[in-house]
Amino acid sequence: QTRKYKRKIEESFTDELDAAQICKRRIEHLRMGASAFENASDPNNEPVLSQWKRTRLDRFLVEHLLRTGHYATAMKLIDDNRQLKSLTNIDIYLVAQAVESSLLNRETATALAWCHDNRSKLKKLHSQFEFHLRKQDFIELIRTGRRVEAVRHARKYLVGQEDVCFEEVQQCTGMFAFSTSDTISPYKHLLDPDRWSHLVEEFRSENYRLFQLSTQSVFSAVLQAGLSVLKTPQCYGSRDKKNPDCPICEELLNELAKNSPYAHCSQSRLIDSISGQPMNSDNVPMMLPNGYVYGEKSLQDLAAENEGIIVCPKTKEIYDIREMKKVYVM
Amino acid sequence: MESINAVDKELDRVLGKFTALKNHGLRTVGDLETQLLSLKNELQSAPPESKLTFGQISILSQVMTKVKEATSRIATEHRELHGTVSKVGKSIDKNFVPDYDSVVSDKEFRTDEKMKILDKVICNHFFRSGQVEVGEELAKEAGLAFDVKSKEPFQEINQILEHLKGGNVQSALAWCDRHKDKLHEMGSSLEFKLHRLCFISLIQEGPSRQKDALTYARIYLPKFAGTHQKEFQSLMATLLYVSHGMDQSPYRHLLDPFLWADVSETFMRDACTLLGLSIDSPLAVCVNAGCVTLPALLSIKQVMMQRQVQGMWTSKDELPIEVDLGTKCRFHSIFACPILRQQSTESNPPTRLVCGHAISKDALARLSNSRQVKFKCPYCPMEQNPADARQIYF
Repeated sequence: QTRKYKRKIEESFTDELDAAQICKRRIEHLRMGASAFENASDPNNEPVLSQWKRTRLDRFLVEHLLRTGHYATAMKLIDDNRQLKSLTNIDIYLVAQAVESSLLNRETATALAWCHDNRSKLKKLHSQFEFHLRKQDFIELIRTGRRVEAVRHARKYLVGQEDVCFEEVQQCTGMFAFSTSDTISPYKHLLDPDRWSHLVEEFRSENYRLFQLSTQSVFSAVLQAGLSVLKTPQCYGSRDKKNPDCPICEELLNELAKNSPYAHCSQSRLIDSISGQPMNSDNVPMMLPNGYVYGEKSLQDLAAENEGIIVCPKTKEIYDIREMKKVYVM
Repeated sequence: MESINAVDKELDRVLGKFTALKNHGLRTVGDLETQLLSLKNELQSAPPESKLTFGQISILSQVMTKVKEATSRIATEHRELHGTVSKVGKSIDKNFVPDYDSVVSDKEFRTDEKMKILDKVICNHFFRSGQVEVGEELAKEAGLAFDVKSKEPFQEINQILEHLKGGNVQSALAWCDRHKDKLHEMGSSLEFKLHRLCFISLIQEGPSRQKDALTYARIYLPKFAGTHQKEFQSLMATLLYVSHGMDQSPYRHLLDPFLWADVSETFMRDACTLLGLSIDSPLAVCVNAGCVTLPALLSIKQVMMQRQVQGMWTSKDELPIEVDLGTKCRFHSIFACPILRQQSTESNPPTRLVCGHAISKDALARLSNSRQVKFKCPYCPMEQNPADARQIYF
């Protein structure tokens, strides 16, 4: 017997130690990132930083894919990069997958087992999920005409909940009065097969509440912020303003960003559309007589190749380099 | 960084205490186990009829009490550790944000249509960044019909990159050959860099390969003599060091492994320009930008909540704060009128006054009440006619 006890101690301690180790690994990952950012100006640090950013994106994607039900893809990502396993909570999602698929198959056993495993926390959250599961069992019993069993089931499971969900219990007992094929039954909403999908949703939100997970994936939040901060009116303007390097000008992201707020700019930041380089006091913006503005350096390069003649890249109009005029932008 | 350190400290404490308690517990139970075993053997060795002696009974009861004591002590110590564990939790809660609902809406990507677009975006990202199998798996799971042709160029590029990582330049050279006209037009130094790496590795192999190095140089390098003169000269000079190795030579920078990473990047850049694509996966750029923005938004939202300003930002608005992403993330020219401090739009474009200063159209309208009367530029004493101002395009 002492042997059993010894094993139990070992098991429970090892579990807790493992959990602490996972936390430690995540902290180390974050620490590496934080110090990489602190050394961002050091060119030797560049590959470290970009590798860390790639890992960050991958772990965001793993979580997001798990949340949207693309389990196989998420597992594949983890296979490629083992580090991701301790950086994401796949176990929670895999358990959730099992429960959700069983609910969609119209059985409550797996979900009830989950409730049992997490009963203390669910109780603290005042969760009614278990009660709803029992209620669904009751409904199914009535649906298949096993009324005696239904009564026994109600006596066992639904009775204790009167103080909390009195109305619902009332409705259940009321169902006895009507036959299941009765389409005019005031309780036919209880027989609706969609209740199973509602149970899935309820499970999902209880699961998130239990583990203090947010209702949206981190990936989704970060993407929205990113879309906003990169969004400019030119991304939605005429075709010639679009920049192939700009993510928001890309077709799919453009569609996603339609409802996001624009980026806020209080200062002018100009880019030369020929070279992609910034235009500032080192590369003065110059206006051609047609009103188009380019960087001085690019215009000089164009003129040098063509004996002092410039062809405007956008309108193809021809000008002499001496016709360009300086633009002062504050 | 301090948040990380704070949580780390608590974690270390927990780890330390748990390990100590675990070892202590195991040791105590181990001792008791041996004691009980020895007692059991003693009892078994005695003949079955004999009654337990008084001494044996007292030893038995002693051992029993010891066992009870040990188990209850371990249980209490375990319970006390709960305090340390919850400190870790509290430290995490204090230092890290649990959710972002206050700044970004969680309903945004919920519609089926948007989810489909999001799946496509993620799928494209995987193809771009060389995680082709993952992309295919996602396409299968999400039911996306992807264009086989669209991922072909990426597959080739990624394959070549893999080869380059392994130190093999042949496929890259073959690719260069196929696209040499366009590369020449772009003024790319990719081919030169590849040949240079080959040549250097031949030199490194020592005098036995000297002839091979010379032949290689004769075949492949002359065409670069004109375009990359200085580099070419340095390469030729490295022949001097064939026997001694280049480590001590003034050309040891040519041995730097960084050159391999550089050639991979040059290849990626040229390949993307050839295909007319952006260099980085758009999703990656967006997410990285978002990671910089989100903390800034969270802190401003906190300030706003404290001052009773509410409401979520919509597409009619701009974000409340400016976030500097650095020059790499500037894809469009942004003109902010210095007078009205607003971004220019299609209906309010920037204009250049005769003196050269740029202001927005609305600001111009405000400065000059009619179109004929001369007005003074706010930044220099030049007087001018508002009709002479030109609309400019960036």
